[in-house]
Amino acid sequence: MIKRIRFHLNGEKKEIEADVSLSLLDVLRDVLGMTGTKHGCGKGECGACTVIVNGKAVNSCLFPIMKAEGAEVLTVEGLQKGGELHPIQQAFIDKGAVQCGYCTPGMLLSAKALLDENPSPTRLEVKAAIGGNICRCTGYVKIEEAILSAAELIKEGR
Amino acid sequence: MYNYVGKSLPRQDGYDKVTGAGVFTHDVRLPDMLHAKVLRSPHAHARILSIDTSEALALEGVRAVVTWENSPRVLFNASDAHTGTMPPNKPVLDQYVFDNVVRYVGDEVAAVAALTPGLAEKACGLIKVEYEVLPAVFDPLEAMEEGAPDVHKTELKNTPVPPFQIAIGNFQEAYESSEYKVDVSMKVPVQKHAQLETNAAVADYRDGRLTVYSTTQSVHPTKQILALIMGMPESKVRVLNPPYVGGAFGVRCGLSAKAEPIAAILSRMANKPVRCVYDREEDFIASDSRHSGYLQAKLGADKDGVFQALEIRGVLNKGAYTSFGVEVVGVMCAMSLAIYRVPNVACHGRTVYTNVQAGGAMRGFGNPQGTAVVEMAVDAMAKKLNMDPKEIRLKNILEAGDPWCLPFMNSSTALAECIEKAAERIKWSEKRNAFKAGKIRRGVGLAVGNHVSNAWPFCVDFDSVYLRLEADGSLQLATGVPDIGQGSGTTLMQVAAEALGSEFETVAITFSDTETTPFDVGSHASRTLYAVGICILEAAKDLKRQVLEYTAAMWGARAEDLTLERGVIRGAGGETPLRELCREAHLLSKEFIAVGRTTPPNAPSWHAHAAEVEVDTETGMVRVVKYVAAHDCGTAVNPQIVEGQIEGGVAMGIGYALREEIVRDEEGVPYNNGYHKYMLATAGDMPEIEAIIVECSDGSGPFGAKGVGESAMVPSAPAILAAVEDAVGVRYGEMPLTPERVLNGLR
Repeated sequence: MIKRIRFHLNGEKKEIEADVSLSLLDVLRDVLGMTGTKHGCGKGECGACTVIVNGKAVNSCLFPIMKAEGAEVLTVEGLQKGGELHPIQQAFIDKGAVQCGYCTPGMLLSAKALLDENPSPTRLEVKAAIGGNICRCTGYVKIEEAILSAAELIKEGR
Repeated sequence: MYNYVGKSLPRQDGYDKVTGAGVFTHDVRLPDMLHAKVLRSPHAHARILSIDTSEALALEGVRAVVTWENSPRVLFNASDAHTGTMPPNKPVLDQYVFDNVVRYVGDEVAAVAALTPGLAEKACGLIKVEYEVLPAVFDPLEAMEEGAPDVHKTELKNTPVPPFQIAIGNFQEAYESSEYKVDVSMKVPVQKHAQLETNAAVADYRDGRLTVYSTTQSVHPTKQILALIMGMPESKVRVLNPPYVGGAFGVRCGLSAKAEPIAAILSRMANKPVRCVYDREEDFIASDSRHSGYLQAKLGADKDGVFQALEIRGVLNKGAYTSFGVEVVGVMCAMSLAIYRVPNVACHGRTVYTNVQAGGAMRGFGNPQGTAVVEMAVDAMAKKLNMDPKEIRLKNILEAGDPWCLPFMNSSTALAECIEKAAERIKWSEKRNAFKAGKIRRGVGLAVGNHVSNAWPFCVDFDSVYLRLEADGSLQLATGVPDIGQGSGTTLMQVAAEALGSEFETVAITFSDTETTPFDVGSHASRTLYAVGICILEAAKDLKRQVLEYTAAMWGARAEDLTLERGVIRGAGGETPLRELCREAHLLSKEFIAVGRTTPPNAPSWHAHAAEVEVDTETGMVRVVKYVAAHDCGTAVNPQIVEGQIEGGVAMGIGYALREEIVRDEEGVPYNNGYHKYMLATAGDMPEIEAIIVECSDGSGPFGAKGVGESAMVPSAPAILAAVEDAVGVRYGEMPLTPERVLNGLR
């Protein structure tokens, strides 16, 4: 069944027609052609598809598109503002938190949801926030460092 | 002092990857593209008596269905071994894209191309297959026995290649006459790469030309395999990464578990582009794994603990098809025999067919298995002699220049320093053999080893690169080597800028596209920076000579009096930016272009790891508390990238020791078919990891660099097993150390 759905994506109004059985991830990647959000398992086990819906990090592969009606959705494509990288993006580059890059969009969004709610997390709180995001390249060391560093950058207003 | 080498410059792909703009194979969408789905065998071993595809073909939206009956009957090897097996060994060509016999649960039976992924899946369900189920065998020791089912017909029972053997001195005699002897055994599990981007390909066949976007970590060998299967000239087949690959770790040294030929065949049949993306379960059960198997090490020493004799024997589970065969047991035996100074060594390594997914390349390539059992033997010897495991290692490790079993020089080593640093940071002297009591017990362990910096002498290994100066003096580098996430795109640009004397900011790289780059064997064997870097040095030397000779002729000077650094030519009283020189040359119809062509030598990359663990003697849970990994990687061209390699390798090694395993039921159906069931570690499971770079410049590598990509995976399991032994007094011989195994050992 095809239905009309309205939501805000990265601050812009979206009005689309989509099959109600689709997930938010399907709509982002296959209907809207926004492939920054990654498909890793389709079962909510890896976190590669993490986006922020109404301030909360969610697995977009498990998020029915109909639940996005009226929601504010933020994806990796919406992190940059006016050509400037978000401090979390910059910290991921500066701290060497990016390797293959496939988990990166999901990690960034989990990190943003954390820092929006808790601007001064401890390392353990960082670990908990990215607990649903699998990375096979980094051992998580530099990702945690990047998120902690981003928290500092944000507090310093950079 | 270098301008760019040794500096943690930011990755050239960082922006693409943090903005979502970077394209991976999963993201490739071509106009009018179809979607493929594969029908897989539910049986571990069966003959296909009939396949009826009529209902599938009749489904609206289905464009092509392929089975063994209408696909190329071309035998191939799905890995780089297809074109990279070192003579006199011959590559084992033992599979078709589709066959009328299926040999493991998950083996390809048919594939469908349709307008949507959902339709393709539905059509797969409409294919009627009649099987004659055949007896199956899953354990390599059982598969070697007379009367076991034949997975393939072979001369030596279920053995695709003759066993790998080395004999130097007289092991048997020296072992028998050694004052102290140990004899240890291990069983090692199936480990899975579990890279984030599943195996995938998007193929576009038209008018006798084929373009394939692929997750492969070796585009040129993949092109060669595809050309053979498709019956096309290699020149008409283009394979490329688009350009990013979501990890690999060995799972696609060659084909991405056959996604490329399946997409290509369907594209040729349907005359449209076809996207074939495996789901996570397919990726877990139907792509190569690390070889599981059985290992044994015998070590003899004199009364002072000086090693006299060492033998390694191994039987590895090859699975249903040979990807890498002799190469993996070769590395397993040779590299783990090349850690200590032992006058009498021997090894015997055999890979055996069974009805499970193929064992293939995975980070460390046999070395983690070999090192695990050798380090177990060394710890057993230390115990027998009542020596400190650290001291027995320092006493016996190879020094630079010592003879060994490998056909290249042991040209450099800082292993002793690595051992000292790792021990110091883990507080070895304070914590080892500390008093233990109570429910939770702590211990520390140490393991060491050596790994390669490229694939030779185990596989064919060579590259070429282009370097070309634009008319504004900026530098183009073209290499066929994929950047699968390790950062080689960045480090190779650093090497190129340094070697030529360019400004780093003006260097651009194109990589992993067979149409725009010369031949390269691929991104594996810890080789990209070392081997391709050597090749860039060759090209840069030539390019620099061209530039300086041209300048010298213009200036009426001698080329040897001129220098080029950071984009400025100086000497003989003159000075000109490379930018202006190239502009002038362009107007005089001159382009500066060079090709580097090298067959790299090899260099040992050494490592010492120390782990501290906590064992809960009531629950059997083992937790790594702290981990120190000290690596002699030669010159660290980009220290931050090196640290990233070490940290990621350690994480995979901890998984190998404690968590990761694919087990099967009695029908051969794998239980661990996704991230959760595989227990892949998340951030909360990781200990503090301290990566220590011990620089020890090696003469053969670019600016003294050696390999590091795989090293961190190699000694981590034995370091953890040694720490557990220190904690609870039991040396476990089977990994991973699940709570059940730990408790069984404590009883």
